[in-house]
Amino acid sequence: MPKSVFAHFSNFPKPLLGDWCVILLSLALILWSFSTLWSQQPAATLRIRMGNVVLGEYSLMQTKTLSVNGPMGKSIIEIAQGKVRFKQSPCHNQYCVHQGWLARAHQAAICIPNQISIELMGASPAFDTLNY
Amino acid sequence: MRYFILLFAFLTQTSCVPLDPLYHTQTYIFGTLVDISIYGEDETQAQFITSQITREFQQIHNRLHAWKPSELNGINKTFADERPKIIEPDMVKILEDVTQLSMQSEGMFDPAIGKLIQAWGFQRDEFTATIPDQATLKTLLGQQPNMQDIVINGRQITSKNPNVKLDLGGYAKGYALDVGLKILNEFHVKNALINIGGNVIALGKHGDNPWVVGIQHPRKPDAIATIALESGWAIGTSGDYQRYFMQDGQRYCHIIDPRTGHPAQGTQSVTVLIPPGLRAGVLSDVASKPIFISPLEQKAEFTKKMEVTHVLVIQEDGQIYVTPQMQQRLSWLDQDAKKRIRALQ
Repeated sequence: MPKSVFAHFSNFPKPLLGDWCVILLSLALILWSFSTLWSQQPAATLRIRMGNVVLGEYSLMQTKTLSVNGPMGKSIIEIAQGKVRFKQSPCHNQYCVHQGWLARAHQAAICIPNQISIELMGASPAFDTLNY
Repeated sequence: MRYFILLFAFLTQTSCVPLDPLYHTQTYIFGTLVDISIYGEDETQAQFITSQITREFQQIHNRLHAWKPSELNGINKTFADERPKIIEPDMVKILEDVTQLSMQSEGMFDPAIGKLIQAWGFQRDEFTATIPDQATLKTLLGQQPNMQDIVINGRQITSKNPNVKLDLGGYAKGYALDVGLKILNEFHVKNALINIGGNVIALGKHGDNPWVVGIQHPRKPDAIATIALESGWAIGTSGDYQRYFMQDGQRYCHIIDPRTGHPAQGTQSVTVLIPPGLRAGVLSDVASKPIFISPLEQKAEFTKKMEVTHVLVIQEDGQIYVTPQMQQRLSWLDQDAKKRIRALQ
């Protein structure tokens, strides 16, 4: 008869007071992280699309200026250590530029005339699509 | 060792299971973003179906375009020339439907005011801030264009008023949602989500759960709330934050009040949720307009007139009004907003 899988754990030493402290502290940290970060999850990755084509995914943890060509011309996208924005756009109304910095997961800005979108990626999104 | 092998086998097995059989595509039609998601279908088939849908959307867009040569503008021209015109049977249905909705809204939804929309500079891909002078507005209002000026006899259409200029900007996207849903059903697709410039219709579910739609905050780059969109339901928003211009600190949005000839004021957004039906998409597009344009004290009345039950209104002062049915369906993300909710009645 093979040994039960649980038998392997019987060799583990009994947790001491310090271990319990670490476990409790970790649990507290997890709960705190959930409550503060869940609704405002910071993003780490940026996805840029032109039309239906994903042009690339970029880390947000850098300082970088990207130039993307759309049907109207060049859109300038600026990444600055954890946030991103449309810095310049050839479109007329500049809604994409006025939207300013994006930093949290699932935030997005779209330049409809130049057909370019920037979207911040995160764990599971809070919704499948956006009504606006 | 045996357990390590088992663990290894388990981990490699799970990594082979497709995480989410979701096909997603986005394209630009109707001057906006069209987003189609199909869940649980073979990728090649999903790709084929979405291409059929987008082709049909492109056709609707070309036929109903308000400021480029189109079937609709051909009709506008014969109105101006005071001549009759023979139109396609589906165009007859569309214009009869539009007229009925316009009457139901007591003229608050009036696609006959194309000339006024043009005067405010909104009939352009890249519109420029234009405030028409009072004399122009007075003339255009005095011409009293109205959907009921249109006479349809069989396939022949005429207008009693040569100043009727149709602009279906408040109808076409909703109509396209219904067409899209019809195509999905023809291909026996079970689960899909279509989003045309923010107007959304759902079919089936996303896996085990209903499709979830975020509702854009009218003044922040985030969703204000989410809503589970059950199969066949549609959602639409009229807002002052997508097509607008600012001049001297004043916001001028693209929704023109047919009574005053001016852009509607006082409301940031109106969202309506429409139950399944043959024209759920159309209603999700149209029904929010009269509620958006009407003053706060008449919003409940126009909600009834448009026969909608699920409505969310965000006023200029930040106050939020919801019908009890809508409140039951919303999950609020914006904690600030939650404090400003009142009943729409």
